[in-house]
Amino acid sequence: MIYQQLINGLMLGASYSLIAIGYTLIFGVLNLLYFAHGEVFMVGAFVGLYLVVYGGANIYVALAGAAIACAALGIVAFYVSVRPVPKDRPLAPLISTIGLTIVLQNLAVYIFGGQQVAFPETIRQELYHVGPVTISSVQIFILVVAVAAMGGLWLFIERTKLGRAIRATAENHETAALLGVDVNRVVLVTFVIGSGIAGIAGVLDGVKNSGISPFMGLGAAVKGLVVMLLGGLGNVVGAMVGGLMLGLIEILSAAYIGTTERDLFSFLILILILLYRPTGLFGTRTAE
Amino acid sequence: MLHDLFDGYTRSILVFTGVNVLAAYSFYLPFKTGQVSLGQAGFMAIGAYASAVLTQKFGVPFAAALPVAAVVAGMMGVLVGFPALRIKGIYLLLLTLGFAEIVQVITLSWDFVGGAQGFRQIPFIPSILEYVVALIIVLVLFFARLERSSLGRAMDAVHQDETAAEVMGLDVVRIKLLAFGLGAAIAGLAGALYAHHATYIDSNSFNIMVGVEILMFVIIGGSSTYWGPLLGAGFLTLLPEFLRTLRDWLELVPVAWTDFFPMNRVYDFLHDALDFENAKRLIVYGIIIMVMMILRPDGLLTRDSLRRLTMPRGA
Repeated sequence: MIYQQLINGLMLGASYSLIAIGYTLIFGVLNLLYFAHGEVFMVGAFVGLYLVVYGGANIYVALAGAAIACAALGIVAFYVSVRPVPKDRPLAPLISTIGLTIVLQNLAVYIFGGQQVAFPETIRQELYHVGPVTISSVQIFILVVAVAAMGGLWLFIERTKLGRAIRATAENHETAALLGVDVNRVVLVTFVIGSGIAGIAGVLDGVKNSGISPFMGLGAAVKGLVVMLLGGLGNVVGAMVGGLMLGLIEILSAAYIGTTERDLFSFLILILILLYRPTGLFGTRTAE
Repeated sequence: MLHDLFDGYTRSILVFTGVNVLAAYSFYLPFKTGQVSLGQAGFMAIGAYASAVLTQKFGVPFAAALPVAAVVAGMMGVLVGFPALRIKGIYLLLLTLGFAEIVQVITLSWDFVGGAQGFRQIPFIPSILEYVVALIIVLVLFFARLERSSLGRAMDAVHQDETAAEVMGLDVVRIKLLAFGLGAAIAGLAGALYAHHATYIDSNSFNIMVGVEILMFVIIGGSSTYWGPLLGAGFLTLLPEFLRTLRDWLELVPVAWTDFFPMNRVYDFLHDALDFENAKRLIVYGIIIMVMMILRPDGLLTRDSLRRLTMPRGA
């Protein structure tokens, strides 16, 4: 029973991690609470759905397509809601990304309708029994994709020149620029990567829940924020671990305490972290 | 009195606009001391549920329940305000967001207040519009007075530089708590007024997006003057209605003007584009918000524009 819950918790947490990565990357380099990220996740799910239903694509093509489409959306989002807004007013970029959230959500309602849409079965459901644990092919697929995406991102951030530039920019804008980092390009790259990963998360969410709706973004956005904070603002590895932790906490509290209390726990954790460890569990830097 | 002046639909729009104005002021007061709250919807929920429980379950008259709702929400505000003293910026945004989410989860799961079914049959108060208008007038007078008072200046000082304000001998803790608590009380009033007009509330009536919109009202209206929240909430709440009215006006154009070739296409296009029944209207709303933050990042109304309005010759 407990092992089964652990698996479920990791499943839930993996999607939280993928969303939080984008938040924390963007927060890291821009110090900006980018509100529209949850809607990018939602758009990813719908792109995946369309590719499968109308394009006849298999799930791998759908994942790649959603990642590319969301990366492109990330660039558009940056140029319409972040770049043109003056940065010296802390709330203006937040408001403009809220505007973008409203536009994307209602565009989706306009195009796809306000109801939940069934996500087609793309992976044959098979159950494997390993000792006391039952794990399905869908669960294995989601975990593998999520781990692969996170591992790839980690290698990129830690081992490549561009990854180092991102870390430098997150540390300090001015210093990075002085050392020859093209800060504008770095910011754009973080939007591309964060949005692409959110797109993958959206498709995985469709596969897992077998249904998606234009309103799925807001809840995901809020959970992504909690995870970002849990891992420490701007800390990518923290977001990955924090997501898995939140998933485990939610599933375990739902299983042993009650389903309605599940959300209560995640927000109580949010508040406790804010009050006692505002740098997150693994974070080192603080935001102004 | 005001009740008979308008038909039911217009009255509803006016009440909801007024509630939004009050909610915007509830955000504006703590914001004057530099505290940004995404959780005002949570305080609205507390006021709404408190008043609903008192009137419907205990038979308390609305006129008595309304101040109690404000006090309950205000006390909650002081409770939340204490931990909020320690943190700033994005952390405070997230703290207040978390608070609003917790209120939402509690109203969703607490059966005494209806749980997932929501709170039904809240007594309808026909004179709610009078209450709303009266409270807005009181608040505007209050803020006009506050602007010139020592407390108002102290709040501005805390907003600009807390350490400097503290060094000057201001009681920063007291000022911030007072602003946060009073703001929460105003939100409680707004929530209670909403509840007794809608007569039905559930956990979703005061969700995260409500709190986000309240913040938007103030920033878009302009946060440097107390007319900003009034203008922002009024403008953004009535904007969708205005878009609807535009189409009605378009339909008044005589048919003879539009039933030949180029004009019929233009008419159909405009009519279609203004057909704002659902999602389209909100898309336009979102675009306007984005454009506004690019063109007027300080909001529609700033101290400068206000000065220019009152002194037309650029004195």
